[in-house]
Amino acid sequence: MPIQTIILALLILPWLSAGLVALLPKKVQVHASILLAGLFTYLAFQVGHMPENITSYPWFSLGGKAIVASFWVTKSAQLLLLLVSIVAFFVQIFSKSYLAEDPNIGRYYSYLHLFIGSMTLLVLTDQIYIFYGAWELVGACSYLLISFWHQKEAAIKAAKKAFLLNRIGDIALLFGLVGLSQYFGTSVFSGMHGSAPAMIGIAVILGGIGKSAQFPLMSWLPDAMEGPTPASALIHAATMVAAGVFVGIRVFPFIGEEAHLFMGSIGAISLVSGAFFALFQNDIKKALAYSTISQLGLMWLGMGSSASLFHLYAHGLFKAGLFLTAGSVIHYLHHQKATHHADAQSLHNMGGLRKQLPLSFIAYLIFGAGMLGIPFTSGFYSKENIAGFLWDSAQHSAYANYYYVLLGALALGMGLTATYMCRQIYLIFLGQNRGGHSLEKSHNEWLQVIPISLLILLSLFCWISMNPMDAHHSVFLAFFHIENYHIPGFWLGITAGSWIVGLGITYLTRRWVPAKNYQFLGFIWPSAYRLAWYIGQQMQRFDARIVDRIVVKFTELQVVIAHLSAWTDRHLVDGSVRLIASTSRALGARLQTWQSAQLHRYWFWVFFTLVFILIYLLY
Amino acid sequence: MGNLSYIILLPLIASLVVGFGKLGASYARLIAIVVAGIQLLILAKIALVFDPAQAGFQSTESFDWIHLNLGSLGHFVSHYSLGVDGLSIGLILLTGLVSFVALWNSQDIHEKIEGYYALVLLLNASLMGCFLARDMFLFYVFFEFMLLPMYFLIGIWGGPRRNYASLKFFIYTLVGSLFILIVMLGIALAYMDPYETALSLQKLGINQGFGIEALQSMQTALAAHEIAPNQIVHSFDLQVLSDPKNCQPNNLFSPQSGFLLGGLSGRAWGFWLLFIGFAIKLPLVPLHTWLPDAHVEAPTPISVLLAGVLLKIGAYGWLRMAIPFFPTEAVDAASIMAGLGVLSIIYGAYNALAMTDLKKLVAYSSVSHMGFVLVGIASFTPEGWQGAIFQLLSHGILSSLLFLMVGVLYSRTGNRQIDNFSGLASKMPWFTVVSGIAIFASLGLPGFSGFIGEFFSLMGAFTSTHLTPIYAILGGLGILLGAGYLLWTFQKIYLGNYFVRESTWELPDLTLLEKFSLFGLGILSIIFGIFPGIIFELSEIFVTNSLNLIFH
Repeated sequence: MPIQTIILALLILPWLSAGLVALLPKKVQVHASILLAGLFTYLAFQVGHMPENITSYPWFSLGGKAIVASFWVTKSAQLLLLLVSIVAFFVQIFSKSYLAEDPNIGRYYSYLHLFIGSMTLLVLTDQIYIFYGAWELVGACSYLLISFWHQKEAAIKAAKKAFLLNRIGDIALLFGLVGLSQYFGTSVFSGMHGSAPAMIGIAVILGGIGKSAQFPLMSWLPDAMEGPTPASALIHAATMVAAGVFVGIRVFPFIGEEAHLFMGSIGAISLVSGAFFALFQNDIKKALAYSTISQLGLMWLGMGSSASLFHLYAHGLFKAGLFLTAGSVIHYLHHQKATHHADAQSLHNMGGLRKQLPLSFIAYLIFGAGMLGIPFTSGFYSKENIAGFLWDSAQHSAYANYYYVLLGALALGMGLTATYMCRQIYLIFLGQNRGGHSLEKSHNEWLQVIPISLLILLSLFCWISMNPMDAHHSVFLAFFHIENYHIPGFWLGITAGSWIVGLGITYLTRRWVPAKNYQFLGFIWPSAYRLAWYIGQQMQRFDARIVDRIVVKFTELQVVIAHLSAWTDRHLVDGSVRLIASTSRALGARLQTWQSAQLHRYWFWVFFTLVFILIYLLY
Repeated sequence: MGNLSYIILLPLIASLVVGFGKLGASYARLIAIVVAGIQLLILAKIALVFDPAQAGFQSTESFDWIHLNLGSLGHFVSHYSLGVDGLSIGLILLTGLVSFVALWNSQDIHEKIEGYYALVLLLNASLMGCFLARDMFLFYVFFEFMLLPMYFLIGIWGGPRRNYASLKFFIYTLVGSLFILIVMLGIALAYMDPYETALSLQKLGINQGFGIEALQSMQTALAAHEIAPNQIVHSFDLQVLSDPKNCQPNNLFSPQSGFLLGGLSGRAWGFWLLFIGFAIKLPLVPLHTWLPDAHVEAPTPISVLLAGVLLKIGAYGWLRMAIPFFPTEAVDAASIMAGLGVLSIIYGAYNALAMTDLKKLVAYSSVSHMGFVLVGIASFTPEGWQGAIFQLLSHGILSSLLFLMVGVLYSRTGNRQIDNFSGLASKMPWFTVVSGIAIFASLGLPGFSGFIGEFFSLMGAFTSTHLTPIYAILGGLGILLGAGYLLWTFQKIYLGNYFVRESTWELPDLTLLEKFSLFGLGILSIIFGIFPGIIFELSEIFVTNSLNLIFH
């Protein structure tokens, strides 16, 4: 197939799939959907080893300028496309078992395809308008998936919150993108070369904050965990939230160092605070959400360079794996008699699950190792690469010290990451069950085991490089144009130190489970919401009591004036006329007695003349 | 007589037949819908022969109408002249479509049915006339005439406070048209129609062409006082009024007059009076308070017409008259216009946020969405204008859809309080799908038409050299608030557990009739959202031409 056909098919297929899945009879919906997702993955692999190219179609013209719908297959787009298609495919398989009893499973699969379609558009497009459009569309798909169980109050609130907090960022992105197109005089990314003013770059980066749940707009992501877990794995762990990183990658070559450092700083804050708050969650999904915030912060720390891209890919695979594994733990607890009515996501009902769920335990260990960046996982390379990028940038930059501060934040974040990850593994799988539940051994759900096992395989080192400690000469990195940054040997010591710190703290605090889910910056949303509501109420009061009242009073004034003038007319104007008339009639009667009848007509004319003079004078 | 006249005459005649024909209710409905359908076909034919690459009016028709000798002031001429260009083509199509949808969804009208359909057809005719008139006097006649059917439609078939609402609507609009009338008479008296004057001075044979040189010679003659005032022929032709060179020297509407009143020149007064006159129709904050009342009291199909078409006349008036007549003054006022637009966007959105009545919420959302139109216009950029015109059409479709959505609830329960409903998704899945489309399209989700209009209006404002970017950024806040109130509504009414206030309320899902119109509009919004070129292509030449005339 020619390149254009494949790209077009890839762009259109998910939308058709979404419609088809929604309309098909219930029996075949899920199978058809998985089949279509498989076809999509096949196409994505076709695109995956294409040469870079741009395909454009005429779209519309505006003010004499032709706006084309153009699609740019870049290395970063290809890698993301692979990630999206692989994770989406696995999630679809996993969901068949996870949501088997849900009557609306067809709608769920339809939403998944909508999401895949929007994400493909986002990744492939070259045109800023389509980029912004796809950016909003993935947010809308996220809304639909979070509120999938729309009878759950918490779910629909979380969905709304996610959409609105995202939109705050979107507005900044809108102006950032328009600023870019204004500055470079083109509306396609591929036509932008040079260096844009820092403000424009920062606006674009601000735009990514909402989508990537970075500081300070992070609080929607933990709430979004109300959605089905496999969907969370796809959009709130691996792909959609990474869109914020992707926009950084797209604009990396032309936004200038200040904007890069701004992105890195936001990332550093999110890395540390996200990892810190992951320690204080007793809901395993919420802990993973904070972990995602933190890991996205790590990608932001890469400032949109190829180091960011690398970690985006590696993290996408093992985080999706973690979520699916957590999902299978939740699924298992939910279907146990002892814990059916207990909170299946709470750490209070877990502990010692290694006996019942040995496979999940192993999976969690390996994915966790990826999070920690332990050798033999892809996470090791990607994490070291970000440190290498920071070190490398510091060597030839006027802001060298700033880069070292960011490196310090990275070290701190790694220590915290190791801590929460080890603690989570301990609290779920080791020790004894804290709820005192007697649980049966699980019978493996193959539709859950297979995707998780494949994700484990993909998270290992061998795809990147055969040398577990060093990714030089990596075919993978070379193909995707990912630079392998060199980091001095001492950094490995810091990395190892972070593992020891993590294990040590875990051992010391192993008996402590957080009493509740603590929120970071949780107050922002309720107060913003309340403020908007309050202003709305006040404005409405103003509208009804002042603006409308003025108009009504003004109209009423007219009525009063009308009555006044009617009164004047009746009593003064007409009255004086009547006075004159009656006087003249009396006079006339007197005169008539001694004058001819002709005089009567004469007086009639006098009377009229007087009336006209009066009217003339009064008006 | 050409197609354009048929568009106006057809509903006019049908209205008389329905109103006085004593045909019975079911025939009235049938005739009305058939007439609206035929009108749509004629419109489709006009749209097919419409050449988007051609500047100026097309399918023109012109007949002499009024000749008046004013003695020392010269002569007055008014023509019955119609035409369609890039601005009006979209609006007449919208009018045809929305009228059809409104008539289609009128099955809940149960009293004085013949009268109702007659008045709706009358309204349709006068709306069409407004958009097609090339003569300001003719426009004004249609514009005023529109009040009559609207007043009775709200006043007779409306809700409990219909008298208040219809009177308020009437007075408000009348005040607006008074402003327009003042300027219309003033500017017509000030301007000379070069062609007609040449004709009456016998400088031109009947069949002789009137070229650019002849025009310029007339204009120089006017400037040099060579034409006596009593020889001047005044007309209301929009093209004549759009050229300041046709103005008599020393007149207060002349650019060189030096007339000042309250710090504003005569032309600035003209602009602002026209601007306010049309702003009431849009409606622009703070002249908007008639809208929520009129909407709340009007029956559903009338709300649809009101929001879908009537409001657009405000913006149409700006683009067709206020700005072309007084271009320099309009550009000078760009910042104030954008400020008022932003005020409308934010104020409308906040008010919508506070509403508990679904219909009022939709009404205030209209105020907010029409604010984008003004921001786009005030940018004086091709993007902004195209965005504004797109927003007019898109809002026409989406507000119709939203009001029909309210109507579905109201016709089943007689109630529209948001608090009284919850979790309709489980009982009315089709209704929920189409409402979801309406709501996401209105909050400006890409892929739907609402996004394109808002996006390009704001982009125009952002990149405009006449405005600082702050207006666009504040307008962006409106997008956020819009998402807020619309999602809140969606969450309250459709999601959650099923609940309605009265257990007697039955909520059957959409009927086939309703599905047809609601999904039709929703699909239209998606088509325009994905292929905005369909509309941009129509209005492109109009926009570039108008902006060229402003900045020539």
